[in-house]
Amino acid sequence: MSFLDADFWIGVGVTAGVYAIFALGLQLNVGFTGLINLGQAGFMAIGAYAMGMLVVDAGWPLLLALPAAILVAIVAGALVGLPTLRLRADYFGIVTIAFSEIVRYALQNAAFTGGNQGVLGFDGGWREFQAWASNELSPIGLGGTIQLPLLIAVWATLLICLAALTILQRSPWGRVLKAIREDEDAAAALGKNVFAFKLQSLGIAAALAAVAGFFLALNVTYLYPSEFDPSFTFFGYAALILGGFASYGGVVAGAIILCALTEGLRFLDLPLSSSQSGSLRFIIVGLVLIILAMFRPQGLLGSKAEMQLRS
Amino acid sequence: MKPKTTNASEPILALETVGKRFGGLRAVEGASFAVATGSITALIGPNGAGKTTVFDLISGYERPDTGAIRFEGRRIDGLASHSIAKGGVVRTFQLTRVFAAMSVRDNMLIGAQRQAGESLPRLVFGPKSVKRAEEAAQARADALMRAFALDRKADDYAGSLSGGQRKLLEFARALMTEPRLVLLDEPMAGVNRALGASLLDEVERLRREQGMTFLFIEHDIDIVMRRADYVIAMAEGAVIAEGPPALIRRDPRVIDAYLGRKGAVA
Repeated sequence: MSFLDADFWIGVGVTAGVYAIFALGLQLNVGFTGLINLGQAGFMAIGAYAMGMLVVDAGWPLLLALPAAILVAIVAGALVGLPTLRLRADYFGIVTIAFSEIVRYALQNAAFTGGNQGVLGFDGGWREFQAWASNELSPIGLGGTIQLPLLIAVWATLLICLAALTILQRSPWGRVLKAIREDEDAAAALGKNVFAFKLQSLGIAAALAAVAGFFLALNVTYLYPSEFDPSFTFFGYAALILGGFASYGGVVAGAIILCALTEGLRFLDLPLSSSQSGSLRFIIVGLVLIILAMFRPQGLLGSKAEMQLRS
Repeated sequence: MKPKTTNASEPILALETVGKRFGGLRAVEGASFAVATGSITALIGPNGAGKTTVFDLISGYERPDTGAIRFEGRRIDGLASHSIAKGGVVRTFQLTRVFAAMSVRDNMLIGAQRQAGESLPRLVFGPKSVKRAEEAAQARADALMRAFALDRKADDYAGSLSGGQRKLLEFARALMTEPRLVLLDEPMAGVNRALGASLLDEVERLRREQGMTFLFIEHDIDIVMRRADYVIAMAEGAVIAEGPPALIRRDPRVIDAYLGRKGAVA
């Protein structure tokens, strides 16, 4: 495989788009509401599995299963948020990571989720569409790359989410979230129902996680529990830190760079075993983050002035 | 909580044998007092007397263990702090709490109540009402920022303001909520005298022109004497005296507790 292989980079683009959608939700929680959500992978698992099981077990068409699964993820967000959003920020973080692990272990062990065998066969509708789209793209010479329709779908969705969140953030609603991030007691003293706003923030993040989960599932074509382990959430945080706190554009940039870096480093031709070179790739990613923290602590698109005001 | 028509003789705020413990510490014990509608009432007392705890109890940050708190005749103890604020009671904090990484203007706009744009459904389905509410809030914020000489700082981060300017911002932001009762926790602390005097002038003007009621915690006895028309003195969690300033400064219990047995107040 050559460095300029189109299919390879289309795959990287799909992965980057999935991480970007996933991390937009993290940014809404962490960067704009001050909620340390460490359970984003759990919401992604719930959304993706809900979609897969509605199609495979309940026989729903994919197009109907997608919005239903988003609703399931939002309900999951509310159920996690109701008892925990009154906790202090650090306790909330601990509870959400525990939640995401509970979800993963439940998926591994429950009979109705297929356990470690996972869920297969939910993407028939998508593959028909993909074949049709590839056919349509062939007159302009883009028919040969099978994942191209997925790339277009992921990035179109990502751009819509990015635009919607940016508009929301400029609204009075977004302003209240920011005030809660800055000082929730002062926000409450000004008549803002802090709990209700946090719940909405978490619900939207869970919905974004579900959407990311759909594309992840369509990309790998089947669902299994270990796709959703907490390292996915931490990778999302890495994209957030790289791109910059409280910047939606930043997480998209962060996700692209991070995915291009981890995947592109596969082309390093070193006399190492595959597990060694795999580890080396993550060492390099870690170094990049450390260097960034030293020279640009606010991230690529974060605001240095805001960061200094917060400390 | 809907506003209720009150006659001036009815107290706007009443505490009835309110008590609050933190572990073994009795922060407030059997405190009872009333704040007259349209008054500027001072709450005084030595450190640890329980003044800030009383503010926390009124504004819903803490729940009293015993007793009742009434605002315009309705019980507000047990309500969430945001509901109390929506109902017309707003507080400021002893250590100012501005939203540091937000502009001065955005700080002000957070004070606006009934903002359609703070509701997700109305953002989507009622963009006109959102725009109207936002414009009205902007106009109010602009007027208040001018009144407090913050208009030239409107686009600066609140975190870049001086201590005195933050105090002004916090007060102006509280007024954005269109309150009927304002609780000010040491409004003069860390503010230079000229700025402090103009802040208190504004308090008197709002009382005169809008009938707003103020309850403020203050350590400077001269300011209390000149600005308050009623004084409540606390010590060790209990109300030890209340009355007009001239009487309070001669009250032996107050002199004893508050002034550390140094003799009469100068």
